[in-house]
Amino acid sequence: MTEGDSANARPQRVPLASPVEVAPPPGFTSQELHDPFEAHMGPLFEREDANGDRVGAFIADERHLRADGSVHEGMMMTFAYAFLGGAAWRGAGEKPCVTMSLQASFLTDLKRGDVVEVRTKLEKRTRSVIFVSAYFTVGNEPVMTATSLWKVLGAR
Amino acid sequence: MNLPPMPNGFSPLQTKGFGGFAGPVMGGKDAEGPLFLFDIAPQHLNGDQRLHGGMMMSLMSIVLGEVAQSTAAAKEEGAKARPLSLNCDFVSAGEPGDRVEGRAIITRATRSVLFMSGKLTVGGRVLMTATGVYAIKAADDK
Repeated sequence: MTEGDSANARPQRVPLASPVEVAPPPGFTSQELHDPFEAHMGPLFEREDANGDRVGAFIADERHLRADGSVHEGMMMTFAYAFLGGAAWRGAGEKPCVTMSLQASFLTDLKRGDVVEVRTKLEKRTRSVIFVSAYFTVGNEPVMTATSLWKVLGAR
Repeated sequence: MNLPPMPNGFSPLQTKGFGGFAGPVMGGKDAEGPLFLFDIAPQHLNGDQRLHGGMMMSLMSIVLGEVAQSTAAAKEEGAKARPLSLNCDFVSAGEPGDRVEGRAIITRATRSVLFMSGKLTVGGRVLMTATGVYAIKAADDK
């Protein structure tokens, strides 16, 4: 298990800057990033929808592409990891969690300029394990699904 | 973080776009087959100064993807391998200064699909195990 993730971000720390400035999509604000690798690949964005659910987003740029111009699966999984980690942390009552497993299915190719959105669902919480699913879209088109397992630190 | 230089015969992979910006991941081979090497640097870390899970999966996706691509291209000229599914298990943490070794094998290859498994290790300690399912797309298949 990977100890310490975005789920463990300590609120008093100063957010890290991303190497490029990107304007948030309409309705979104930039997330405060505390993990160097997320800042390196970001910025990442979020908003609340009408139901109060969190929606995450990033805009695919040249740093996120394969040689043929489509979006690299590594970026999609990094984006998933970052946002699902936040969902697990909230699901655990703001306790630190570590990742045990993450599975992603890639439904279609994406390209530069696509605004990828993610919505999460807390499937189940036991004392020590959080199950989080996620659904990724561009516009209204489903582009990726993910499921994940998180261990709540200190719980057995 | 004084890692030895990369062994002879290893060169950076996927240097354009994501692979170059997130990496570098070095590719080469030894007696066991294709081998991938990755040195953990400050930009690859999480807030607790360990290898970020997203970077670990990115590395795994490059290791699996490179072996999938060379397998697809060997079956049919110009064919491309595209991931349909990746499942990554986080077995232990990576530390700054670690040199991660990556390997991938083909479990089964059909005409249109590759079933793969991969592993990331540091000095024999397993960081991640993964399986991947890849589609083989012919050169003329858009």
